[in-house]
Amino acid sequence: MSEHPVRLVITDDLRRKRLTVFFRLFLVIPHYVWLAIWGIGAFFAAIGNWVATLVAGRPPAGLHDFLALYVKYATHVYAYLWLAADPYPPFDGRPGYPVDVEIAAPERQPRLTVAFRLILVLPALLLAGSLLGAPNFGYSRWRTGNEATFNYAFGIVHAAAFLGWFASVAWRRMPHGLRDGVAWGLGYGAQVWAYLFVLTSRYPDSDPEVVLGEVPSRSDPISVEVRDDLRRSRLTVFFRLPLVFPHLLWLTLWGVLSLFVVIASWAATLVRGRPPAALHRFLSAYLRYQAHVYAFISLIANPFPGFAGSAGSYPAEVAIDAPQRQNRWTAAFRLLLAVPAWFLASAYGVVLWTAALLGWFAALVTGAMPRRLRNTGAHAFRYVIQVNGYLLLLTDAYPYGGPCRVPGLADEPSQSPAPFSG
Amino acid sequence: MSELRARAEGRGAVLALATLAVLATCALWALAAHELWRSTVPAGLPLPHVDARRFFSASFLRRSSSYDRFIDVDGLLASLTLLIVLALYARRGHRLMRESAAGRIGTGILLGMLGFALVWLAEVPFGLAAVWWERRHHTSHQGYAASLIDSFLSLGSRFVFVALALAIAMGLAGALRRSWWLVATPLFAALALLSSLLSPYLIPKTHPLRNPAIAADARALAATEGVAGTRVLVQTVSRSVTAPNAEAAGIGPTRRVVLWDTLLDGRFSRREIRVVTAHELGHIAHGHLLRRVGWLVLFLLPATALVALLTRGRGGLGRPEAVPLALFLFVALQLLTLPLWTLVSRHEETEADWSALQATHEPATARALFTRLASTSLSDPDPPAWSYVLYADHPTIAQRIALTEAWQARPPGR
Repeated sequence: MSEHPVRLVITDDLRRKRLTVFFRLFLVIPHYVWLAIWGIGAFFAAIGNWVATLVAGRPPAGLHDFLALYVKYATHVYAYLWLAADPYPPFDGRPGYPVDVEIAAPERQPRLTVAFRLILVLPALLLAGSLLGAPNFGYSRWRTGNEATFNYAFGIVHAAAFLGWFASVAWRRMPHGLRDGVAWGLGYGAQVWAYLFVLTSRYPDSDPEVVLGEVPSRSDPISVEVRDDLRRSRLTVFFRLPLVFPHLLWLTLWGVLSLFVVIASWAATLVRGRPPAALHRFLSAYLRYQAHVYAFISLIANPFPGFAGSAGSYPAEVAIDAPQRQNRWTAAFRLLLAVPAWFLASAYGVVLWTAALLGWFAALVTGAMPRRLRNTGAHAFRYVIQVNGYLLLLTDAYPYGGPCRVPGLADEPSQSPAPFSG
Repeated sequence: MSELRARAEGRGAVLALATLAVLATCALWALAAHELWRSTVPAGLPLPHVDARRFFSASFLRRSSSYDRFIDVDGLLASLTLLIVLALYARRGHRLMRESAAGRIGTGILLGMLGFALVWLAEVPFGLAAVWWERRHHTSHQGYAASLIDSFLSLGSRFVFVALALAIAMGLAGALRRSWWLVATPLFAALALLSSLLSPYLIPKTHPLRNPAIAADARALAATEGVAGTRVLVQTVSRSVTAPNAEAAGIGPTRRVVLWDTLLDGRFSRREIRVVTAHELGHIAHGHLLRRVGWLVLFLLPATALVALLTRGRGGLGRPEAVPLALFLFVALQLLTLPLWTLVSRHEETEADWSALQATHEPATARALFTRLASTSLSDPDPPAWSYVLYADHPTIAQRIALTEAWQARPPGR
């Protein structure tokens, strides 16, 4: 697969200045004003670029460069605002900022995809909204009548930036995972803008390994592996929601029992400094089963999962280390310590379900899950499962907040392992 | 030689014992059916002939007949489609085993759910046709999309039931091989009991009776019918349905009567609502919900035995490959016995009507109610025989009116 024409370049060293981090929201105001003014020009330039590309089949170099510069500048500003970079950005979008975007030179584009660009971009915009964060407006029907509702769904970018703000103020350093989480959203956002502005015909690719170029390989006590091929059965895709009902019921019942077991495990870990093996086994099976069900419902994997959470039985598998010694203090305050991770996991969850929703339509039409959506979902899935494992006291290793390598995703597609063969 | 003879004699004895066991089971079955069939409606009660034209205009009779025939034919076609889809699925469904990583029982559960999923897909046009017909006749104002989404989501609860039933049957078949059905039947009966017990909690949008007069009537009727303390609730359905209805639900401590709010919207008088309430309380007083479980056992015993016998060719129900066939057999048996189920239902409804008459002593109100019920729900007062046998789970309106006249004409003391 050739490199994406919109490429994020990160040279940031993670160091942050407390003072500029503390006042970041205010410091960025001049950039916001300038971005808005430039945005008016970009809006008309984008319309001109669309018409010109439709006619000539290729964006004019002048318009392309103007819009590309705007995308770069916007990325710099948001990287600064959301703490993915520290230096105050220049106002002209010049290259060299610690979080920068490289956009390939103009090339021929299929006129049909240019003509329908505004429609084609909608799924990418939805996914970008889930990565960044999006407000929700709606109406609720109450007994007293209709009421307007407003709430805000934190995306990974906003959640990581929010947590990163506290970390940077405390330690003068942005955690690597949180920085990469923000960068993932910024890179994908730049791809979406470039696609919308007709700078490229390549569809935005949300796979973090594509957006970030590379992601760290880690050996965590709880790791996720996805070895499913991308083939999907249209029948089970269409009925995925009702098919998962028995699993959800079973998961709930098992979850109730797990609650008591995790309390017992917590007490035992406080006393012995290590979770008892039997309880650890029980909770591991529960986490594996949860992972199998989540993978099935979110279309990360194809086959119908078993009800026992057996190790090695499913293509989206969780490997959990044997019980290790745990710090009693972190065990004692596990619920409190898990709050930031849980907060970030809820943002990852939004990405997981958005990728699943888009993948549902795609798989229904093509009989296959798009690689980019499967991988996006799998990265979010990895984090959600690790946070749940942390909450279940299966490890005291804090979940890594950014995208990291998920074994199996980059491999050649293989046949689904472990289908029931009688 | 003598060894051969001894073996033959032994085989003969086993055969005789088996025959005896089958005969004893049949006798027990018949005895149980007889007990369940018992009714408080006097045996041999002569029902006068009621000409529907006495109560309904010719135009209504034409309209209701046309309305009901469409619904019946639509239902019949849906049932045929169900059978065809499941027959095809029985032949080819095992191929879908490749979509599972769930082991023996889990794969069987998946195949069971997918069978019903395919049936749902095939029946969508018939469901939409029924919605169109009901909207056209103003008996429902549910939208097409809402109806489709509702039925799609209701698959979830159906799948939970299928999963549970298959987990039990396949688990037992794996352990007990051929005789799984002997244990499965009482287990299913226990589950049906549990379901009856819990079903009232699954009825959505209910609230207590707010009209004090109707609530007082309900309390008095419950005492009269010997089921004092039975709760009477109201279910809000008027957002999607215009037809009136009521139901009795639950057993023992969960028993209750649920009146649809379409019954309380002013179209029916207080006395008519009393009759409806008394009818539903009659179901509770005569233990009809419990008896249904009894009838279910009587159906399940031969049905599961037959399924066990006919799935042997595919390794028995312990194997997931046998599930599509088992599904087809079970549904086919259900459809074949449909006339018996409707017969039992009509029998119970007659008893509940009789009970209502005994409690209210208002045959004229009951007649007015039945006439109004037919008008509001466009129910054909005198349907053709095939429709009556297959689909009528209540006596016809003409029969119900006839029962009120028979009650009036009954000898004193009965």
